[in-house]
Amino acid sequence: MTARTRIVVVGNGMVGSRFVADLTAADADAEFDVTLLGEEEYHSYNRVLLSEVVAGKVDLSALALPEPDGDRVRVERGAPVIAIDRASRTVLTSSGSHHYDRVVLATGSVARIPDLPGLEGDLPAGVHALRTLDDAREIVAATANARRAVVIGAGVLGLEAACGLARRGLEVAVIHAADTVMDRQLDADAGRVAQASLAGLGIATWTRAATRRVVVEDGRVTGIEVDAGEDPVTLAADLVVLACGTTPEVALARSAGLAVDRGVLVGADLASPDDPRIFAIGDCAQPREGGAGLIAQGWDQARRLAGLLTRPGQGPPTAARPERPSMALRLSLITGVVSRPARPAAAPALAAGTDVVRLKAAGLEVVTMGVSGARRGRDSAHRSVRLSDPAAGRHVEVVVADGLLVGATCVGAPEVAADLSAAYTRRTPVPADPAQLLIRPLTTAAAPAATPERMPDSATVCLCNGVTKGDIVTACRAGAHTAADIARATRATTGCGGCKETVCGLLDWLGAVGPRIPDPEQAGARLV
Amino acid sequence: MGVGTQSHCPYCALQCAMTLTPPEAGTGPTPVTITPRQFPTNLGGLCQKGWTSAEVLTATDRITTPLLRGADGALHPAGWDEALTVIATRVRAIQAEHGPEAIAVFGGGGLTNEKAYALGKFARTVLRTPNIDYNGRFCMASAAAGANRSLGADRGLPFPLADLAGAGAVMLLGSNLAETMPPSVQHLADVRDRGGLVVVDPRRSTTAALTGADGESGVHLQPVPGTDLVVLLALTHVVLTEGLADQAYLADRTTGATEVQRSVAAWWPERAEGVCGVPAAQLRATARLLAAAAPVHGGPGAYILTGRGVEQSTQGTATVTAAINLALTLGLPGRVGSGYGAITGQGNGQGGREHGQKSDQLPGYRKIDDPAARAHVARVWGVDPPTIPGPGKPAVQLLTSLGTPGGPRALFVHGSNVLVSAPNADRVADRLRALDLLVVCDFVPSETALRADVVLPVTQWAEEEGTMTSLEGRVIRRRRALAPPGQARSELWIFAELARRLGSGVHFGTDPAAVFDELAAASGGGIADYAGLSHARLDADEADGGPGLFWPVPGPDHPGTPRLFLDDFPTPDGRARMIAVDHVGPSDDVRPDAPIYLVTGRVLQHYQSGAQTHRVPELERLSSEPFVELHPILGFRLGIADGDLVRLTSVRGSIQAPARWTDRIRPDTVFMPFHWSGAGSVNRITTDATDPISHMPEFKVCAVSVTPLIPAAAEPLAAQGVAS
Repeated sequence: MTARTRIVVVGNGMVGSRFVADLTAADADAEFDVTLLGEEEYHSYNRVLLSEVVAGKVDLSALALPEPDGDRVRVERGAPVIAIDRASRTVLTSSGSHHYDRVVLATGSVARIPDLPGLEGDLPAGVHALRTLDDAREIVAATANARRAVVIGAGVLGLEAACGLARRGLEVAVIHAADTVMDRQLDADAGRVAQASLAGLGIATWTRAATRRVVVEDGRVTGIEVDAGEDPVTLAADLVVLACGTTPEVALARSAGLAVDRGVLVGADLASPDDPRIFAIGDCAQPREGGAGLIAQGWDQARRLAGLLTRPGQGPPTAARPERPSMALRLSLITGVVSRPARPAAAPALAAGTDVVRLKAAGLEVVTMGVSGARRGRDSAHRSVRLSDPAAGRHVEVVVADGLLVGATCVGAPEVAADLSAAYTRRTPVPADPAQLLIRPLTTAAAPAATPERMPDSATVCLCNGVTKGDIVTACRAGAHTAADIARATRATTGCGGCKETVCGLLDWLGAVGPRIPDPEQAGARLV
Repeated sequence: MGVGTQSHCPYCALQCAMTLTPPEAGTGPTPVTITPRQFPTNLGGLCQKGWTSAEVLTATDRITTPLLRGADGALHPAGWDEALTVIATRVRAIQAEHGPEAIAVFGGGGLTNEKAYALGKFARTVLRTPNIDYNGRFCMASAAAGANRSLGADRGLPFPLADLAGAGAVMLLGSNLAETMPPSVQHLADVRDRGGLVVVDPRRSTTAALTGADGESGVHLQPVPGTDLVVLLALTHVVLTEGLADQAYLADRTTGATEVQRSVAAWWPERAEGVCGVPAAQLRATARLLAAAAPVHGGPGAYILTGRGVEQSTQGTATVTAAINLALTLGLPGRVGSGYGAITGQGNGQGGREHGQKSDQLPGYRKIDDPAARAHVARVWGVDPPTIPGPGKPAVQLLTSLGTPGGPRALFVHGSNVLVSAPNADRVADRLRALDLLVVCDFVPSETALRADVVLPVTQWAEEEGTMTSLEGRVIRRRRALAPPGQARSELWIFAELARRLGSGVHFGTDPAAVFDELAAASGGGIADYAGLSHARLDADEADGGPGLFWPVPGPDHPGTPRLFLDDFPTPDGRARMIAVDHVGPSDDVRPDAPIYLVTGRVLQHYQSGAQTHRVPELERLSSEPFVELHPILGFRLGIADGDLVRLTSVRGSIQAPARWTDRIRPDTVFMPFHWSGAGSVNRITTDATDPISHMPEFKVCAVSVTPLIPAAAEPLAAQGVAS
């Protein structure tokens, strides 16, 4: 038996820990010796839900993610990696070194701190990013005394934080440099509908607004000076959340001499072009199709890499379950036909299904996927249909190409959004007329119950026994005048009994109109 | 007891009570008249199948003599002696050439406890083959595997059905009981009044519609097929993250809660929505509805119930496990008025899985690889423990191996119609053709019987004595109201005769009461313990209007156990095990050349493969042919009008049936009932991929292409199950 392959995973976040789980699941013969190094002292947790913690909807203790199998994986927490020595194939931490055959970088990203007066050096009291468990904990603690919050940045995280803080009863303002909120995902029309919804939640939005300065007194924030076209104004604030995007954590890769752009450059095999022993996945990676900054992409990469490492030379299999590639990969293969005009022609498309953006905010429902907002191009093959209903806080747009849904924008239409997500990620056929995607079809289930007169004779009254209205009318004419008579004659009501009311209703109606029913045999007798 | 014979319906596991009386002169063609009877499960109700069940007794093509396939290839009447001699001779020859494992046995969930027990004993002691399994593998295997693993015991409902009436919430996952066991709907009336019925189904089935047109009676969640597990993971996520869990219960009565909590942390509702298509807000509201009904929040109680819709999946055991995890998180199992349960399908689906026709089991729900269990059962059977074979192949693997090198060369089929009810049925047909000997016991010429080398005519429900164990674990009596026609005999007699002819010294009783006593002794000390029961005790309890007897009943003075788990769980540490599971998705998922999901199910008028119900004109009148339900939006897209003939194609084959437009189905999904053979037999294209733990095939979801069929290309539809 050959020596086991030593894999060192740098980063115990959502992607690093998921990769380790996928690898150990795929590595049935325990051919890999895995070391997982985490910078934070904490066990792996669900970072995506930090905004839900801020909103008070999710308990901090519920964020913990599955632990790796302790028998198969060595985990070191609070072990920041200092360097990767590629010559000796060693990863160095403050407490020791780890020899490797492969390194997987899953170092994630860090919150971008804007270059603003007042934010030099350590953040002043009351100003927080929202990236780590500690950030969330501190923001939640601050909400106990804070009254006015300002969120800088109206992207997905900024809006989730704003809605969460508003839910906690704070007065909230959001500052955003672009014309409309969530401009990476929403076009201006959709963004304005979202903005109106924010106003409905009591959140003030300052768009096309430049943040000039964080006002600090005695080391504590008191306000934000903002320039929105007129004279700069100062918004009072005792809590400021910075939601200005993230920066991939690439310092380790850069110092190891690997090619780095915004993130660590990797090829289709997720390896650095400079060193086939070093891989990068998740937020720190920059594949050719670009990093979406979404967890779905990182998890898809984790699964793909686990497959590549455990079954080398078999192309790019992907799922933890080896016999089947992941949905995301299969979909990415399918979507090869769909051009993405907003991207350079040479770049491969993002694995479809990994770019659904779903805002988590009570009272503001925004979902986008694929070709949407700024990513929407002028591709003549794309058929775009929209429903614009700003007064009701609703805006839905779908983009269809070759009979498939390739993009959608949904504001204030959560049920439609759920249907569209399912159709988009699976590439199921869309209606002949894409306009039918814009609203949920009415169902007859909601139709009002037919009155006895209007009910057709063929309508089934008693499902359990297949008894129609016609059968009951016939039985009634033959002398069955009570529900018990009808049951004896037709068995209606003798199953679950759910039709008893309808049968009684029919009998009442027949009793009332009976003489008028043209029925020669009975008519004479009744008229007497 | 009043006039007439007190018995129960021959069909589903609800086992509606009925009285069979001789017909008044000239009142009808059936040999008995059926009157529904008050009983805790059916509350005096019967569906159309039950009302008309006597018509099968006099089916015009009823098999009344043994049939032997002649040199001309046709089946011809034969005497019992001749037929049994042929079987014994050929079995001996095959055994001599290929060994005992070359004889396989396939049982059914409709057999009485006595027959199921005797069948398992016959396979292990006379044939000495490990290769016995049954159609319950297509039915209850995932529920059984999940409940055994998590709760330590699998009794479909570990509480009386009537308990549902008191609940504040009842969640049904993948169960369409309003069509499959209609009288049971009465038990949901109260929870519907409270607005607490939750139905999870990709279709707005008759059951889903019970939640009310405006949701006034509950909630219908309509997930993408194959993603029910995601719904459960998200619900558990919400319960845990919103602080709604019963932490005291988790601490006192379970192990593994931390791992489960960590695993569901990755399934927040917005992520789940993207996979299962159920809006996040609806998932949250549903979790809160269930929690509000849970005892920990002062609610009246809540139930989580699973059915075949979620269990017949390659992740069926995981889905059942997730349902149990959710129930445990809410503190439901083992509490009066709350719980988890699986709704058993076949008439004796419960008893049938307890007494030894399962490949890995011995009577009393004992494990066949447990030395103590083998010793106990060997003592009852009067054989040496080492002569009892070990575990055999589960159903799909068993059927797939028939006639292959090293696989079985002969098959006995009892109470099952595998050509219609098994997945990827054309492959099953190929395997049956490859056999040297196929023996089928049936009372009508089912599709499978028509392929047999020897057909043996057996008794029907009204012609025999025995017991059934209902979906609640209640042991009930089936009683004889009339003599069987012609030469039809009970399987008990057939086993005894074959044992004798095959030279076995093992005793096979033919009196059902005596066989039951033996079963009771064999089950004694097992999980499904019938030791304290006898026909006489069951009769006396019923005559007294007694409360009924639910297993385990370990002794003659033991009152039975209507509610399991009240004090502890039958696991080594007495705690329920919470086991983290994750979603993988269907084995045969949609792709460009098969972009539509196919789900299968049932209609009210038919039972299983339809071998019985297709022979009842009143049922055939209302439901005579298979159909493909599809949404008008899909119909427009594909150019298929209501009533058009369509072709469904999966990687396994193609079938055809008329389209039926309905808005009760997702536009990405088509539905077909599976009760038919021939061109519209949906199990010809369902997948035989199986769950890794329960070996349950994935009937309920596969990927198909749907195309309109021009009339000239259409094959004639086989509406009837009978070959002409």
